[in-house]
Amino acid sequence: MIDGTIAVAFAAAAVRVGTPLGIAAIGETVVERSGVINLGIEGAMLAGAFGAAAGAAEGGVVVGVAAGVVAGLIVAALFAAIAVGARVDQIIAGTAMTLGATGLTGLFAQRVWGTTGAGLSLPTLQTVRLPLLGSIPFVGPMLFRQSVLTYAGYLIIPIATWLLFHTRFGLELRACGEAPTAAASAGVRVARTRTIATLLGGACAGLAGVSLVLAQVGTFTERMTGGRGFIAIAIVALGGWHPRGVAAAALLFGGATALQYMFQAVGSRVPYQLFVALPYLLALAVLAVAVGRRRGPAALGQPH
Amino acid sequence: MITRSWVFLALCLCACGKQPDAAPSTAFKVALITPGSVTDAAWNAGAYQGLQQVKDSLGAAVSHIEAHTPAEQEEALRSYARQGYTVVFGHGYEFQQPAERVSQDYPKTIFVITSGKRVSGNVVPLVFRIHEATYLAGMLAGALTHSGKIGFVGGMELPPIKLGYDGWVRGARAVRPDVETRITYLNTFDDAAAGKEAALAMIRLGVDQLHHNADAAALGVFSAAKESANVLVYGANGDQSALAPDRVVASAVVDLPRAFLLVTRDVKHGTFTPHTESFGLQSGVIRLAVNPALQARWPAGLKERVQAASDSIAAGTLKVAAQAVP
Repeated sequence: MIDGTIAVAFAAAAVRVGTPLGIAAIGETVVERSGVINLGIEGAMLAGAFGAAAGAAEGGVVVGVAAGVVAGLIVAALFAAIAVGARVDQIIAGTAMTLGATGLTGLFAQRVWGTTGAGLSLPTLQTVRLPLLGSIPFVGPMLFRQSVLTYAGYLIIPIATWLLFHTRFGLELRACGEAPTAAASAGVRVARTRTIATLLGGACAGLAGVSLVLAQVGTFTERMTGGRGFIAIAIVALGGWHPRGVAAAALLFGGATALQYMFQAVGSRVPYQLFVALPYLLALAVLAVAVGRRRGPAALGQPH
Repeated sequence: MITRSWVFLALCLCACGKQPDAAPSTAFKVALITPGSVTDAAWNAGAYQGLQQVKDSLGAAVSHIEAHTPAEQEEALRSYARQGYTVVFGHGYEFQQPAERVSQDYPKTIFVITSGKRVSGNVVPLVFRIHEATYLAGMLAGALTHSGKIGFVGGMELPPIKLGYDGWVRGARAVRPDVETRITYLNTFDDAAAGKEAALAMIRLGVDQLHHNADAAALGVFSAAKESANVLVYGANGDQSALAPDRVVASAVVDLPRAFLLVTRDVKHGTFTPHTESFGLQSGVIRLAVNPALQARWPAGLKERVQAASDSIAAGTLKVAAQAVP
């Protein structure tokens, strides 16, 4: 049943599904390393999706990408003002951001497109086949015949790694996540550092929303992120708070999701709910077995 | 002192809760609760149009709310009943049980459950025999498939959705007995990217005719068909030809505005009695909307065959459901 072409199609689907998760999760990794947990990235991703659709309808894909990132930044900036600035409990602030963004994007969508919805007439990003790399058997179609945003996702992995582990800013950022009081007494401006980290995470979440709209479905629907922001937060832990691990975890989750669609389409008597649960069960298993002893930033979630 | 103010507050709250009984409103008020966004170009959009027509044609005061989770849905039903609404539409099978619970406290409100299960006091179902139209869509798919594989993407495994799938499969088999059928459930009606991945997986396995019942998530199914060569798609619940004019063969339509008007008119004129209102092809509420742009692809004789089947279903001589449907 599963021959070569289907294996390739599955692998490409795994990367495609993993892309928005990976981009959002790497952004959230930077945020969490600074000691902030932002449950609002689900909302930022949804805002990014709406911004992408509205921007693309108005001025084409480039405007769509920019508008989506800006929308993600706005949600993150609000979160930073409340959670970092006013030191409101991060869990509550993040949940409020997500609930607010869910309601507002729905409201705006109905204002912009009326009750007929956005339809399928938005300009979208086409798949780009990279020269040479795209011709490698199996790996080519899997990794290098994707949309530009997936390639942006590949670039974000080394950039985030470099930022976190090879710059002075990254050192200060991680210090804020481990021991903010000590960092502050060493002269690190904790609130400023955490705000910058939160904004970077918001831009990534916005970009993840953009990829859902412009690289995948080509339209905006209310609540279309379907909990991907929360999954991204789980992926951060699954990937051990390191960009490379997080990217691998996103690919694992994307693969499990693609696999469950493949299983359902092949047809079986197993209840579909079991297939739908497959990615989550797998993530849980990996979390328990492989990364059980890995710990997150010591000051994660603590206001300073 | 503090205790006394708490008791006072509690009494106020009780009084507020009972208010509609004490002072019933005389206006004709109709409310709609949808389980998803009304921008889905299908199931929920049709209901919203129905509500607008009830407002325009019958002069009703109308209100609409989205309620996604069972808890929100029950609360929305209760809230409208408390405000003295005459008719409350719970738009989908999932509203049946919460409406039965709520209706015991509010006997004056009529709860209409679209695709509902049974009459229970003042809870009444509108039954849509959508399978009569999906049977016809299935016939087209059976005739137009090259690979002999057809697929269906469902939001959740709800009885009305399964019935639609059954009709689709039976129709296809009537034309091509050896047709292979696939079905995928998304467990969501909102996530269009999930709908697209599910459709793409089927297309990779050779499916070239796709039908759905997944509301907004189905936009991804249309998107997948649009970018895959030789894949045709069939709309559900509304005429969805406009979503992909060169790919949509036909849509199994539920004319929700018409059904909404019929039932609310009876209530307004005082001629309403609780009963199961069932709509099929005969009523015109259920129909197959054909996209004329693709009709040139139909093989010779197909049009007549579909028409004959449609007539037989309407006349009651051709049964298309596995179980009895009222």
